[in-house]
Amino acid sequence: MLTENYGLADLATIAGYRARGGYSAAVKALRSMTPAEVLDEVKKSGLRGRGGAGFPAGMKWGFVPQKTDQPKYLCVNADEGEPGTFKDRFIISHDPHSVIEGALLASYACDIHAAFVYIRGEYEAEARRLEEAVREARSQGFLGSRILGTEFSLDMAVYRGAGSYICGEETALLESLEGKRGQPRLKPPFPATVGLFGCPTVINNVETLANVPAIVLNGGEWFRRLGTDRDPGTRLFGVSGQVLKPGIYELPLGTSLRELIFKHAGGMKEGRTLKAVIPGGLSAPILRPDEIELSLDSESLAAAGSMLGSAAVMVLDDRTSMVGVLKVVTGFYAHESCGQCTPCRVGTGWMDKLASRLAGGRGRRRDLDVLERVAGGIVGRTLCPMGDAAACPVLAILKKFRSELEEACEE
Amino acid sequence: MVKFVLNGRPAEAPEGMTLLAAAARAGIDIPHFCYHPAFPAEGSCRMCLVEVEGQPKLELACSTAVQEGLKVWTETEKVAEARRSVLEFLLADHPLDCPVCDKAGECDLQDYFRRYGLLPSAFEEAKERRAKKVPIGESLLLDRERCILCTRCVRFGRQVTRTEELGLFQRGLKTEVGLFDDMPVAHNYSGCLAEACPVGAITDTDFRFKTRAWFLERADSICPGCSRGCNIIVEHSSGFPRVPGSRKIFRIRARANPDVNGHWICDLGRYGYAHLDTGRQESLRTKEGLLPGAPSWEAAVRFLGEKLAGLRAEGAARRAAVAASSELSNEELYLVRRLFLQDLKVHKIFLVDPQEGETDGFLLTSERTPNRRGAEGAGLKLGLPGLDVLRGEVDLLILFGLNIFERFPGEQLRSFFDSVAAKILLTHQAPVAAWEFELILPGAPSAEKSGSFTNVAGLVQSFAPVRPAGGQARAEWEILLDLAKASGVNAPFYSGLTGLEDIRREMGRECPALKVTS
Amino acid sequence: MTMSFSPKLQAEIREALSRSPAPKASLLPVLHLVQDELGHIPAEAERAVAELLGLNPVRVREVVTFYSMFRGKPLGRYHLQVCVNLACSLGGGPGLLHDLRESIGLSPGGATPDGLFSLSTVECLGLCEEAPCLLVNEERYEKMDRDKLQNLLGRLRTRDGG
Repeated sequence: MLTENYGLADLATIAGYRARGGYSAAVKALRSMTPAEVLDEVKKSGLRGRGGAGFPAGMKWGFVPQKTDQPKYLCVNADEGEPGTFKDRFIISHDPHSVIEGALLASYACDIHAAFVYIRGEYEAEARRLEEAVREARSQGFLGSRILGTEFSLDMAVYRGAGSYICGEETALLESLEGKRGQPRLKPPFPATVGLFGCPTVINNVETLANVPAIVLNGGEWFRRLGTDRDPGTRLFGVSGQVLKPGIYELPLGTSLRELIFKHAGGMKEGRTLKAVIPGGLSAPILRPDEIELSLDSESLAAAGSMLGSAAVMVLDDRTSMVGVLKVVTGFYAHESCGQCTPCRVGTGWMDKLASRLAGGRGRRRDLDVLERVAGGIVGRTLCPMGDAAACPVLAILKKFRSELEEACEE
Repeated sequence: MVKFVLNGRPAEAPEGMTLLAAAARAGIDIPHFCYHPAFPAEGSCRMCLVEVEGQPKLELACSTAVQEGLKVWTETEKVAEARRSVLEFLLADHPLDCPVCDKAGECDLQDYFRRYGLLPSAFEEAKERRAKKVPIGESLLLDRERCILCTRCVRFGRQVTRTEELGLFQRGLKTEVGLFDDMPVAHNYSGCLAEACPVGAITDTDFRFKTRAWFLERADSICPGCSRGCNIIVEHSSGFPRVPGSRKIFRIRARANPDVNGHWICDLGRYGYAHLDTGRQESLRTKEGLLPGAPSWEAAVRFLGEKLAGLRAEGAARRAAVAASSELSNEELYLVRRLFLQDLKVHKIFLVDPQEGETDGFLLTSERTPNRRGAEGAGLKLGLPGLDVLRGEVDLLILFGLNIFERFPGEQLRSFFDSVAAKILLTHQAPVAAWEFELILPGAPSAEKSGSFTNVAGLVQSFAPVRPAGGQARAEWEILLDLAKASGVNAPFYSGLTGLEDIRREMGRECPALKVTS
Repeated sequence: MTMSFSPKLQAEIREALSRSPAPKASLLPVLHLVQDELGHIPAEAERAVAELLGLNPVRVREVVTFYSMFRGKPLGRYHLQVCVNLACSLGGGPGLLHDLRESIGLSPGGATPDGLFSLSTVECLGLCEEAPCLLVNEERYEKMDRDKLQNLLGRLRTRDGG
């Protein structure tokens, strides 16, 4: 398990990391495996991206052209902006070297020699920790030229963002790394062919990469021993909200949502009952209590009309006003919209104005119809997935808590 | 070529072309705002969504390439609904300024709104209020409420002029176009920004509040400001007969030509049309007592024809001089060379052109005259007259245009002019009264006659009148043809020329470089 | 006259530039350095950064105004940032905002007359298991409640000596 050594005092140092077997995957890969073999293990493992999109990591790496005159880049996505999510922060502060080793292995597999960690600006302490770990790795020869005496070299730099959720979207991340506004790019072309500075680029989430050393060490098949067939391995579920024990819980995919909330996270706070659950970060459509008999894996959540996303489970209790939740949702996306495309730029602002009126007691029933229509005008029509992320939660709240919203209306 | 299916009909387009361009090629206009043929696809307005068979979501026509066998539908109900949605979003953040907005009548937002159903908006919130009159350049004003953030203006500065004056500030619904403090748009293509803006966000102060787009008459022409020969559209009003000053040019716009000016024209050409309406010479003028009765073309042509006939006398042609300019058309320069040099044996032929200027590194050439190549092609070499040498040597001077007054100091010019017995001026701009000519014949600018220019790259471009020449003014080629006939020289040749087509035919034969092909 | 940065800042900027494949790509790190030193990024600093990186000043302003952590105007000595996203809202965030308005008259976007405190609301900081959270400049304060908030304000006032 990823987190089995978390909490042990010196895990974050390279000495502590190595004492627990850290960097042995790197040694194995660089000394006795070809890049193709490393790629193969990751493909076999079925490891899916853990940022929110869930795209198979091995497949993504395979899209990078083998023969090219251009330099290739790896970007570690540590932007972690999805509300409710704090797992990457957790990984970086407890075990930064696992991220470095994962990045090293990914770079080796894809013939990449320059890696950037794009970490959200608000994670200043974590960025410092990561920089320190990079320095340690460099001083011990795990980064730099001729790593472990091989021909392989890799440079890594930590780059801080400056407060923008959309920079977690991979092409907006690239724009930000290039020193520009974080505006997503049109796809195609995809970053694997035209990425950072126009060069082939792989972008992976922190947690995705943190899983790679164990896969390389133990094999892709080993990774599949936990989790589901289509969604193998474990996830670091982040539970927050009105539970007794909010925090990170590493569990195999396929664990039930009920178990996560009521067994691991201690259930509801004293005197409160469950009213709703947002299962995968704020962008994941909300679930009612009668909908939580779910297996926590990508397919099951998609089938339930929601998503696993960043595996950030937010638990809402009976004292939570859904009007307030709606306002938090619309306020967030309106604030974070980059403004580039029409439906999101205007639509998120419009939804927020409607939700504000509603939250201020000046809403009318027909405003809910308008809200539904506006959200519907955004879905599937935007330049990047943030449009859906803004609209789908609104539609879900409307669908599942309509009567409560109506009660808050003037007439 | 790629074969695909467009709205149920077979179509084809070059490989790599976008659906939007391919549809345009087939005469189908797919609505768009941020797309502009001069720039790579932007994909942000979301207006050009179309239905592609086999795809679950609508695709952007501006950034989807045609593929073999692809089936695309540009006007289904699903597509219309998506476009109405985009329009509703844009209008929810757009002021109802049409009654006071210059762009009315030529506004993409208006046009598409009308096309897609004049739907009532469900927006009942307070609209964003933003600055409405931000100066961003000498002749440019930005209205941020009207801006739909298509970013054409920003991309123009980044990709065409590479001066990057404009950028996007803030984000989300607060996004706005802006400049950095004291660095406004100050290049020679600022007018292009107002033209590129699909709505009335960037307006040109040269045009602001002067008229309504639907009152404008439009005609194609070629800009005569330099030798680039940019293709233009002249927008004007014929005015009303009894309202003085109502007949005027309102605006010059760019006409796309990939071989000459791309999609753009420079400010010098765009704003340099005042001379068409002011300071014109539209009436015949004769020196007191020169001709009996009121000046008429018939009398003037007869008078001058006699003078020209007189040049056939021994030694007379040596004492005649012609100062033309390469602001004349190919046909006119051909006639000048043919009539004066070849038939009348006048060897003192000069070209007096406007002073050269700086190029701007893009379209504007240093030659501030449209037809230097035409003059060369007609067999006339550039050369300013040496006025001191000519003083006292010229009895008859035929002068085209007023450039001579800016190329020579007044003293020198007066001294020369005083020595010339008969001075004839053909011009469309009125000269300053101080200089006395025996005869002033009102000519026509390129906007008011037919002709052709040869641009800096040797391309011959023909033009037709935007509006008829006013008053007594006539095209110089017409005047020259009349004079040729009146002079009696080489009668068999000139009697066979009845109009411009005949002239072009002969010109094409004698001067292949000036052949008009289009 | 372009603004000149302190030797320390210049050295830091040079170091940041050396770590990047292209100077223009260092814009965010350089702006962070400038803001750490000056407290905000005024127009003269935008111009100076533009010059150092070979950029048009408009590009620098584009970035300064896009990212919420960059500030074009000076703020209070202690800039309070209260998270208003879901976990923190559920955990009592609104109460903190309410108290800030009541006790020191601060509303989001505003500052105290003495320039000691300014306030803005922020979106999710990624500290959800410790909700509700706020930042004072870059320092984190987690699991806040109304008493802790008052204590914090008191300590900050004392720290300032006022």
